[in-house]
Amino acid sequence: MKRYLLAATLVCAPVQAAADPSIPDIIDDHILPRFEALATTTDTLSHVAQETCLPASEDLRRAYGIAFDAWISASHLRFGPTEVDDRAFALAFWPDSRGATPQALAKLIADQDPIAFDPDSYADVSIAARGFYALEFLIYDDALLQQGDAQYHCTLVQTVAADIAATAAAIHRDWVEEHADVLLTPGAEALYRNDEEVLRELLKALTAGLQFTQDSRLGRPLGTFERPRPTRAEARRSGRSARHVTLSLEALHDLAGHLAAGDAALTATLDQQFADALARLAELDVPVFAGVSDPQTRFRIEVLSQAVGTIRTTVLTGLGQALGVSAGFNALDGD
Amino acid sequence: MATSRRQFIAGLLATGLAPKPTWADAGSPSFLSAGALRDGTFVLCGIDAALNPTFRLRLPARGHAAAAHPSRPEAVAFARRPGAFAVVIDCVSGEQAAMLTAPAGRHFYGHGAFSSDGQLLYTTENDYEAGRGRIGVWDATAGYVRIDEWDGGGIGPHDIKRLPGSESLVVANGGIETHPESGRTKLNIATMTPNLAYLRDGAIIETVELPRDMHKNSIRHLAICSDQRVAFGMQWQGDGRAPSLVGHHRLGEQVTLMPPDSDAGRDMQGYVGSIAVSADGRTIAATSPRGNVVQTYDVEAAEQIGSLTIEDVCGVVQVPGGFAVTSGTGELRYLGDTLPTGPGRRNDLAWDNHLIQI
Repeated sequence: MKRYLLAATLVCAPVQAAADPSIPDIIDDHILPRFEALATTTDTLSHVAQETCLPASEDLRRAYGIAFDAWISASHLRFGPTEVDDRAFALAFWPDSRGATPQALAKLIADQDPIAFDPDSYADVSIAARGFYALEFLIYDDALLQQGDAQYHCTLVQTVAADIAATAAAIHRDWVEEHADVLLTPGAEALYRNDEEVLRELLKALTAGLQFTQDSRLGRPLGTFERPRPTRAEARRSGRSARHVTLSLEALHDLAGHLAAGDAALTATLDQQFADALARLAELDVPVFAGVSDPQTRFRIEVLSQAVGTIRTTVLTGLGQALGVSAGFNALDGD
Repeated sequence: MATSRRQFIAGLLATGLAPKPTWADAGSPSFLSAGALRDGTFVLCGIDAALNPTFRLRLPARGHAAAAHPSRPEAVAFARRPGAFAVVIDCVSGEQAAMLTAPAGRHFYGHGAFSSDGQLLYTTENDYEAGRGRIGVWDATAGYVRIDEWDGGGIGPHDIKRLPGSESLVVANGGIETHPESGRTKLNIATMTPNLAYLRDGAIIETVELPRDMHKNSIRHLAICSDQRVAFGMQWQGDGRAPSLVGHHRLGEQVTLMPPDSDAGRDMQGYVGSIAVSADGRTIAATSPRGNVVQTYDVEAAEQIGSLTIEDVCGVVQVPGGFAVTSGTGELRYLGDTLPTGPGRRNDLAWDNHLIQI
């Protein structure tokens, strides 16, 4: 892979852009529907939580799953409205390498902190006690379910759900009212000076999304051969780890397809590579990657991870060049 | 000629009759840089004052920065993060003189610095289970054995430099936690808090943080003036335009940040790859390989003054009257304090992130 990357980056002759993506289409077909779905499903989640805050409630868990799906399908779009006031982190504080989420929640519960009674002030608590991963602890973690008083626990579920809905609504509102126009109207004094800068932002969202799925969603539970880390799998308490890989790959495939529009050969390559990764994942049938400790299953998860890496290489080199925004040897380094 | 002289010296060394070799015996390179060859292999190169390569030594994997021993013709080439090796190269014989391996549970960040007498080498390291930065201390007089380890004063230490005329060290703690099992994924952007930490004899003597609204501005690279002022380059991890990517600080004083004018700021794409400060301490040069630009800043006026487009430019170092830069397209050239100076040379390799002065 390194060899391929290098060969591509050493070519310094200007490359004619071959793909012809439509920024309005990407906004209307890829971005806005995702944030609308996030706003709608989190609003439903918050309403369901007001009705039934019992952690074992089927209705609550179903609404949680649907809203979390909507977030994962939008979670690669990390620019603009998601970054205002750290909204994306307020929805999704993961990876949580230091266990800050269970610690922050346990402290709130132990102190019976009154902030849990006020959804508007809840945004002031530790960011680790907010969002989907905090709510997962509250409705799925056996240890946390044993702690504190049931009424307080119930209130916390309702407040975290309401806070998630408020954050999602704010992101959606900003996209509709402002940020779609920001992407559509680049200019000398604007956030983006030209379409090329907008496309670079979208390409960055795609590559960062692929890297996050490979390095975090797959890499964290894989750990090392000597020391696999099944308990580091994303959202394993709710059994969603592999589902998140599927949802993210489907969303990233959609964005990649939009960006590669007009380049038939590249589109075909990307289609084939995404299909390959998704097929390998479907064959695996390990919902929370518990199999990372079993050599045979582990090998198949590693192959899946490499398949995601292959897509990323195609995107960095092929798609970057097709869009006329490929990055150089040092530009790609990140140090 | 140089080769035969080197072979001659190497022969004398083998007999134990020769005086200690110096950098002159290695062809008197002025600079060091790691690079990537077209065949996908990696090297450390010596470069002379006329910008000609003097030696080219093979590295086991991609390098990042290097540290030149203050007197012996010896260079330590560090692996790119999260590598666990650093190779000590005898630049006369071209042989590997020693190999540093990061202890279990640590990896290198790609930078290191020598004590003034060259007896000790300091390396920035990640204690990744604890999520803390460490400074490894190695005995350069005894085959580079590890003799100590210090707390680095923060998370994600990257560049490290010694203040001139002293044994104090300054560390750029980028603030970003990573774990090698999740590659280069940034684990703590929401809570990251970069700083500059000053150390003396293993104790932290001062830690300087940025204003709170800049907590996502990762301090990565350092350059030091003769008056001990520390210039630093940052990488913006927040959204939108970076508020500033270049600053400077002196022990006991306040931090000064250089806001670029808005267009120039955007040209950097939120990313400074390397930084240098002029010999007189009045001008800072910062490179952005993402923006394909090198910019200069006036230290006293705290403003950006010059700008030059060079594709994938990254390495930069101070030279008399200006700066020398390298690029990922193989370019090597001299620039004046406030930029242009003639065309440089282009080599058939990609110069890696940092150009190191000997």
